[in-house]
Amino acid sequence: MALWREVAHRFSYLLGRGRFDRQLQDEMRFHVECRADELEQSGMSRKDALAAARREFGSPARASEDARDAWQFRWLEELLSDLRYAARAFRRNPAFAFTGILCLTLGIGANTLLFSITTGLLFNQPSSRDAATLAAIRIGGNSHAPVSDYRFLREAKLFDDLAGINPESQMNWRNGDQNRSLWTTTVTSNFFTMTGVPLAFGRGIAEGEKDTVVLSNGLWRTRLGSDPAVLGRSLLLDGRHFTVVGVLPDNHRTIIGIGFSPDLYVPVQKDDDMLMLYSRLPRDMSLAQARSRLQGACRELDRLHPAGGGWKRTNEISVSGVTGIEAFGREMLMPIYAFFAMVMFVAGLVLLIACANVASLLLARASSRSQELAIRLSLGARRSRIVRHLLAESLLLAALGTAAGLLIDIAGSAMLGRYRLPLPVPIQLVIEPDVPLLIYSICLALITVLAAGLLPAFKAVRGGASATLKQDEHQTGRVWNLRAALVGGQIAVSVVLLATGFLFLHNLIRATTMNPGFDVDRTLWASMRLVPESYKDQRKQELLVQSALERLESLPGVESATAARSVPLNDSIMRGEDMRTDVGKQSRNTMFQYNRVSPGYFRTMGIPILHGREFAYADGQGSPVILNQAFAALAFGTVDPVGHTMWAGNNAPLLVVGVVKNSKYLTLGERDRPALYEPYFGAAEPVNVNFLIRSAASPASLARTVNATLMQLDGSAAVETKPMSGALGLALLPSRAGAAMLGSIGILGLVLASIGLYGILLYAVVRRTREIGLRVALGATPAQVIRLVFGQSLGMVAAGTAAGLALAWLATRPLALFLVPGLSPADPVSFAAVVGVLGAVSVVAAAAPAIRALRVDPMVALRYE
Amino acid sequence: MTQPETPQLLPGTLYMLILRTLRGGPLHGYAIARRIKDTSAEVLAVEEGSLYPALNRMVVKGWLKAEWGTSENNRKARFYRLTAEGRRQLAEEAGEFNRLVDAIRLVMKTA
Repeated sequence: MALWREVAHRFSYLLGRGRFDRQLQDEMRFHVECRADELEQSGMSRKDALAAARREFGSPARASEDARDAWQFRWLEELLSDLRYAARAFRRNPAFAFTGILCLTLGIGANTLLFSITTGLLFNQPSSRDAATLAAIRIGGNSHAPVSDYRFLREAKLFDDLAGINPESQMNWRNGDQNRSLWTTTVTSNFFTMTGVPLAFGRGIAEGEKDTVVLSNGLWRTRLGSDPAVLGRSLLLDGRHFTVVGVLPDNHRTIIGIGFSPDLYVPVQKDDDMLMLYSRLPRDMSLAQARSRLQGACRELDRLHPAGGGWKRTNEISVSGVTGIEAFGREMLMPIYAFFAMVMFVAGLVLLIACANVASLLLARASSRSQELAIRLSLGARRSRIVRHLLAESLLLAALGTAAGLLIDIAGSAMLGRYRLPLPVPIQLVIEPDVPLLIYSICLALITVLAAGLLPAFKAVRGGASATLKQDEHQTGRVWNLRAALVGGQIAVSVVLLATGFLFLHNLIRATTMNPGFDVDRTLWASMRLVPESYKDQRKQELLVQSALERLESLPGVESATAARSVPLNDSIMRGEDMRTDVGKQSRNTMFQYNRVSPGYFRTMGIPILHGREFAYADGQGSPVILNQAFAALAFGTVDPVGHTMWAGNNAPLLVVGVVKNSKYLTLGERDRPALYEPYFGAAEPVNVNFLIRSAASPASLARTVNATLMQLDGSAAVETKPMSGALGLALLPSRAGAAMLGSIGILGLVLASIGLYGILLYAVVRRTREIGLRVALGATPAQVIRLVFGQSLGMVAAGTAAGLALAWLATRPLALFLVPGLSPADPVSFAAVVGVLGAVSVVAAAAPAIRALRVDPMVALRYE
Repeated sequence: MTQPETPQLLPGTLYMLILRTLRGGPLHGYAIARRIKDTSAEVLAVEEGSLYPALNRMVVKGWLKAEWGTSENNRKARFYRLTAEGRRQLAEEAGEFNRLVDAIRLVMKTA
């Protein structure tokens, strides 16, 4: 109570300081006058009386100082005055302030942006009511469970509620005369009530509804023109009408996390859907309790509805949280932590360089101000006061740098949030600056202040007043050495960053120019999604695909057309089977890439056939397969497999009709994988059909015709056609992301290090003005002066580079995982590029100081002495 | 002009003296000093240099309230008034002080 009043009093004083001082003066004058009146009455003259009264009173300055003390937060006022002083100093020396703030802005901006991205990606906080009591459920080790299991478990009432979602499905949306395939998440109709997902407007899907839809904000904005009257509007999806009941807010985060962002939510339509299960636990139920309840229910379920093949739901049951790191399984934790640590480490290096720059700037300032500080010391300033004063400067720098860095972060994350990653699944990061970010950046700022400010501050006061006053600026060798070490260290760190950046850049170039084993320059890829309900009869789909292929092949400019189950480097099917062949080898478990392709696939894709032939339309009856080289070598050794038979598990015999060259299936950087092809026709195919078309000329011009041709065949299908060369986004994503991220960090590091180098060289020249002047006066040639300046700079650069290369050689080793084959982490090309770039930068950084050194006028320089 | 030797105020007693003096009603700084001197038969003199800082500290602590008014000689002066908090403080300090003085007196008598 009393304490609060005291604090309040002091704050009111802070606000009205001027008035307080005036009143105190008035009060003390009144006192003196009263005393003078008294003395006057006892017979003194007015003048003498006043003088005597004043004498008696003592020093009014001291009294008012003491009185003011009673009111002040001394440290706060001193801090404010220090900050004011620092701000004035910055205005006087804008180059210093600008460089310092720029360094910190870049360092902190990069850090917080990376922090935002990483937390946005990894530590999802799903948009829902009370996410802490939501839990993800997996039974039998499967991510998805059939609708029947969901019904059983829900009716068992194990938890407050249970909902199911199938995040990855698609629907064709008829918009005017266009069909567009949209990413939908189908949910059980209780999903919205259970999770309490907040909506921008409207409501969620209500229990029991079948034909309502909730739109994502992005879809509403981009495709429906932010129509304010969208509620109640009907959308034609897969040939059925759905009523829009709600729109999600812009920052909606799905329960899946990792930036997954579907276009719409619709109720589950079919009973054969597979669902991921989420439950709402009662407040006091732990995950372990929930798990044991679920275990009991699954035992019951296994007994009543046994699944085939000895598989039991009770085999593996997990209940896990949906927020933050909990959302990942335990087996995922290590790689996630490792990735997080790596990103933070790299970003930390950048901040380190930035701090070193600021420290070096502050150090230079402190040493050039040593006279001023010495004078202040000798006038009686406390050392702690001077240290605080110097720290205030770095605090101000850090505050401004953090603020600017946060702005960069906000702008950067807003930009990223608008951008949907070029992936076959809808990933869009919702990155918002949040409280952890704020705390993180404040911590960064504090660390920066301490790191960049303490050392120079202590250095500045250590020398002592008299020593510094006498010695002027001659003996600052130690400070100089410290700065040189800082710059050397900075160069070493930026060599590491640059080396990784260049390595990934080189990797990207290699990956882009790497031959995927099939032709991308003259192939087109048309993906056609059919409405499942219209193609319940498999034959109907096959007929459609066949007539589509005929029409496509008859188009002018089309050399050939084919259909495939999956398009290499975009999606793939991996299978593992016990393979046996008729050349007498033991059966062995083999993992291989699997695809179903129609006749003409290898011709269209430009994959050479080494032995045998392609599939033919007549192949429907037998079980012909085509192998790639890797599979052939694995299963048949040196024998030519064409004409031989093989078995996969206990299935029918497969007749090998051809062997084709290896190509890339998952990533461009992969080693050769065994692959097996079966004919496209003759097995149930999903409603996503991929047509691949080989054009005679440039494929881009054909895209429209192809689109129109396919649309004519089925008006309800969603068709999208693009050149194959543009569809390698997924395959190139790791190299692109790596190159973009580490490349830009490397460049950032380089910029910061060159600022540091430039600063220290310029400072060195300014400090040596006298020496240089003397040398010129004694007859030094311009070449000698330049050698003097450059010698100093190149020495530092050489030492830093050597140390950096050694470090980089060690630091890049773990990166081998991310590189295309044939590219070593200790890539000589990248390392040479680093040395070249650093050399060039240091010459440029030294040029301005060198020119300044040449302009030194010996007369002016000598007049100092 | 020679000042008679005045004994130093016992440490910590200045607040108490000011509070006691103000119990009779609001006074300005000069009057407080005057009153202490008069009532102590000129033995105790409050130094001006410490009077005003002390007054300010007491205002900050909330024992006193300061208001501007007009003095007996028609000048603008700052009057200090005891608050409820100040009265409580006075009672406390006076009690403490009396116990201390009694104890000292006892020791001086017997020892």
